[in-house]
Amino acid sequence: MVELRAQEQHLLSVLSKQECSVSVEQLVQFCGFPDAAVMRNALSLQEKNFLTIQAATQNIIKLTAEGKSYAQTSLPERKLVVAVAELGGKADLSQAAKKAGLEASFIQIAQGWVIRKKWALYDSKTNTLTLNDALLHQMVVPEGCDETLLKYLGEKDQAVFDDLNGDLKEATEQLKKRKLAVVEPKTTRILKITPEGIQAVSEATLAVPEVTKLTPELIITGKWREAKLQKYNIEAPVAKTWGGKKHPYLSFLDEVRAKLVQLGFQEMTGTAVEASFFNFDALYVPQDHPARDPSDIYYIKDPKYANLDNQTQTVEQIAQTHENGNQTGSTGWGYKYNLEAARRLILRGHGTCLSARTLQSGRYQVPSRHFSIARVYRPEITDRTHLSEFNQVEGIIIDENLTLKDLLGVLGKFALEIAGADKIRFKPDYFPFTEPSVELSAYKEGYGWIEFGGSGIFRPEVTLPLNVKAPVIAWGLGVDRLYMMRNEISDIRMIFNQDLDWLRKKQVN
Amino acid sequence: MPTIDVNYAELQHMLNLKLDNNLEKLDDILAYIKAEVKGFDPKENSLSIEMKDTARADLWSVEGLTRALQSYTGQQKGPKPYTTTDKSDIEVTVDASLFDIRPYIACAVIKNIHLSDEVIKGIMHLQDKLDHTYGRSRRRTSIGIYNLDLIKSPIKYTAVKPETVEFVPLGFAQKMKLDEILEKHPKGQEYGHIVKAHSLYPMLYDSQGQVLSFPPIINSNDLGKITEDSCNLLIEVTGTLHKTVLNTLTLITSALIDRGGKAYSVTIHYPKDTNNNYTQKSPVTPDFSSKPLELSVAETNRLLGLNLSAETIINLLGTAGLGVEKVSDQYITVLVPCYRVDVMHQVDIIEDVAIAYGYNNIEPLWRELPTTGKAKADQRYIDIARDLMIGLGYQEVLNTTLTNTQTLFQKMNQPPSRLIELSNPKVITMTCLRNQLLPGLIEFLSSNQSVEFPQKIFELGRVTLPNEAEQTQTCDKNYLSAVTTHPNANFSEIKSTLDSFMTNFGVEWQIQETTHPSFIEGRVGKIIVANQEVGIIGEINPETLEAWKLENPVAGFELHFQTLIDAKQNNPHK
Repeated sequence: MVELRAQEQHLLSVLSKQECSVSVEQLVQFCGFPDAAVMRNALSLQEKNFLTIQAATQNIIKLTAEGKSYAQTSLPERKLVVAVAELGGKADLSQAAKKAGLEASFIQIAQGWVIRKKWALYDSKTNTLTLNDALLHQMVVPEGCDETLLKYLGEKDQAVFDDLNGDLKEATEQLKKRKLAVVEPKTTRILKITPEGIQAVSEATLAVPEVTKLTPELIITGKWREAKLQKYNIEAPVAKTWGGKKHPYLSFLDEVRAKLVQLGFQEMTGTAVEASFFNFDALYVPQDHPARDPSDIYYIKDPKYANLDNQTQTVEQIAQTHENGNQTGSTGWGYKYNLEAARRLILRGHGTCLSARTLQSGRYQVPSRHFSIARVYRPEITDRTHLSEFNQVEGIIIDENLTLKDLLGVLGKFALEIAGADKIRFKPDYFPFTEPSVELSAYKEGYGWIEFGGSGIFRPEVTLPLNVKAPVIAWGLGVDRLYMMRNEISDIRMIFNQDLDWLRKKQVN
Repeated sequence: MPTIDVNYAELQHMLNLKLDNNLEKLDDILAYIKAEVKGFDPKENSLSIEMKDTARADLWSVEGLTRALQSYTGQQKGPKPYTTTDKSDIEVTVDASLFDIRPYIACAVIKNIHLSDEVIKGIMHLQDKLDHTYGRSRRRTSIGIYNLDLIKSPIKYTAVKPETVEFVPLGFAQKMKLDEILEKHPKGQEYGHIVKAHSLYPMLYDSQGQVLSFPPIINSNDLGKITEDSCNLLIEVTGTLHKTVLNTLTLITSALIDRGGKAYSVTIHYPKDTNNNYTQKSPVTPDFSSKPLELSVAETNRLLGLNLSAETIINLLGTAGLGVEKVSDQYITVLVPCYRVDVMHQVDIIEDVAIAYGYNNIEPLWRELPTTGKAKADQRYIDIARDLMIGLGYQEVLNTTLTNTQTLFQKMNQPPSRLIELSNPKVITMTCLRNQLLPGLIEFLSSNQSVEFPQKIFELGRVTLPNEAEQTQTCDKNYLSAVTTHPNANFSEIKSTLDSFMTNFGVEWQIQETTHPSFIEGRVGKIIVANQEVGIIGEINPETLEAWKLENPVAGFELHFQTLIDAKQNNPHK
């Protein structure tokens, strides 16, 4: 069963009634569709084999400006002959021309054509025009073919030369000669119905009107019931839509935070600018330690010094410990402690200063577990493996009964919970503020071994001056390596990369 | 971390181990002393070994390394003894004027040493490591080695006016004044700052007035040049801490003894001063005696979570290269060898016991403790805000907090405001901490001009602001900034985004006309919450766009999000 859309049906039926080929322009007139609609439907009908479309060159006749003005009134010779008739069939040329309203320059032309068309005779001696005998008895001077064409073109604007009958074709030549019309070749599309098309017109049922867009109007009025929603080419490519999503690295840190909270750790925070005292001294890093060289830690230009006024007692305790060990059972470093060096402001080089602050504040419980995700800073030249700014995840556990076993246990737990490690192994490690110290390497199928974290028990030189009596485990995790591994990144600079395309396409995992 | 270079063949020979090319096996052994192989050059057969323990200066030579490893491989239990053969006839007198400059000196004499090219290289390497790391780049201690045969005792350690002395420094042919040395000699340029603060500079002369050296800068070219022909040496260490000076001398001298030299002691005569500045008047150096340290058995077991007997501990101490003087029920008197300069507390010994026991032989324990986990107070609001911005179609980005004033001010067409700058920036793009987020986002856009539009990004992150009321003179605040850019980006779009955000976050806000040089006049407003200005919103000025080479209009806002969080926390029901 052939199903045609309304416009197709109409076009095809119009076409079936034509005896010969029809141009698109003609169909525009016959169907009353706009040009584009005719073409669209014609193409779709051609696809169905109901018509053929052929390009053909046609000669198009159009009036010139002069021709158009005569089409609106009449030819000058007609004006003249009418005037002669009104003057009784015989009249003086100039008198007749005056009556006809002809300009002087047209008199000559009008006179010539009146004679050529055998409408009147001219006597040059008397300068008179006399109507042809045949016309004398008629009420009207019959219209010539040229005038018929002129009128037609005046109304229709143009005509196809081949469509005209023999007389009119001759008239075309006349008008052309008189420069009242021009003939121009023009390529047009010619539609011709096929036998299948003729059959289709008789058989076709009218399809429900098809619509491209489901509009609110269609929905509200219920007209959608009569409509058919046009099928789309669903395989056609579409423009990409980029919504928002979390930054993969921050999202990873969110996950680490959630795990740590779940394991009973509470988060510590602090400022990026820190007193050397908390970053170093409180952690028993001597004031002449290379880690405090300007090549290893950023110093603040202005302001230069922290205000440690409400910490004087702690500062004194720590100064004593550095100088001679004080009450800690240690020999101390044996140098002269300098308060100005302690107050010097820096950008924190590790997150351990937050642990020192927590212990110093005394606002913790025994037992308790703490962690921080801290942005830390080192004056490094950035490359594939170094950043001058990165994040450290670390913290402390405070409990009366902590031992080296717990030190191994906490790292083992993290390796399992956070890295999903298959195997772990421990190695002795060194931090200036812990003893004993451990490094944990984690093995994960497909990733291999990575150095995953370190931990240690704070030295008595750290805890005792801060008035902490219970053992404190300090731990830190190499989260950047884990992130890079999980996201198959080999360049650490990717953490802060400014590549929007990468972020948009980055798979969420 | 110190890295030392050792000859692989020599190391294997000294360790009496055949390792072939199994560097992993070597790594397993090195793990005992917290060291690992960093590199191997097969052409030179040279190993580069990194020492994690920055305090164990005794490991920074092939001699020290093998000494430490030999006890773990079972070749030698307990400490390695060092002694001086006899007193030398060298004495040193110290001038009181040095007290505030570089007060301490320790010396030793080494005789009958055969200095091959390899040995000289090794000793220089150790000297360099000790000067640099243990000596804190010669500030704390520095080492000088001289040809003993050219020196006449007593040696005078004194302080001089720089312009009064000249000598030929090592590696040069002409005499130079001290200031000239600081200016022209490479070592003078490197270490000159250590002495420049003083009006007098330290000098070492022999009794003939010959210059030994200008510590801690440079030796004399005449007396302080060591060649393969030198077989009798004078070793000298000067510095600011007596203990460190003695330790450094022990470390360098013991390495020379390991190389076949015989050590002789030197007597130092400190000045008789009324202030009792010098506790020891006439010490004899070097001092190779072990230091006794009380180790509590109970404390050892408590820290390790083990139940080791005193006997087992003593055995483990031996494996760790430590000696034992006497034992009671509860205490072991450990003899810490002279070269173990890192030991400050019994915990250092307890760790050695644990390492000898083997970390991997200890069962890890995750203790169930009644603690409650909690994210930081701000985190809940931060997460809500990030989710809202993502819902509004904005991609989260992450910028560094280190930036530069060009980015923050000049390119944003705004005047500089006070912010936290670094005194020692490493690169010109990172000279200060950001005090706003918006410039970072604009910078981000400028790196993405070839990426599909529209582009909508946001960052919720910390900025640092000066604040004298705080201990660190600064405070960190969470800010939220977002920008949208595409051919039709405009004020209405960003205002609509902010309005949605505020409505969902539960904050009533107003906008108030203002002017801001980063934004187009008439298209910028202050964000007002509870009569307080909490940010700015608008269309970015084309001048700024041009500075960043942006071709599409940009609209954005910067919100002092911390103020909103703080208000929520003070009144959580609102």
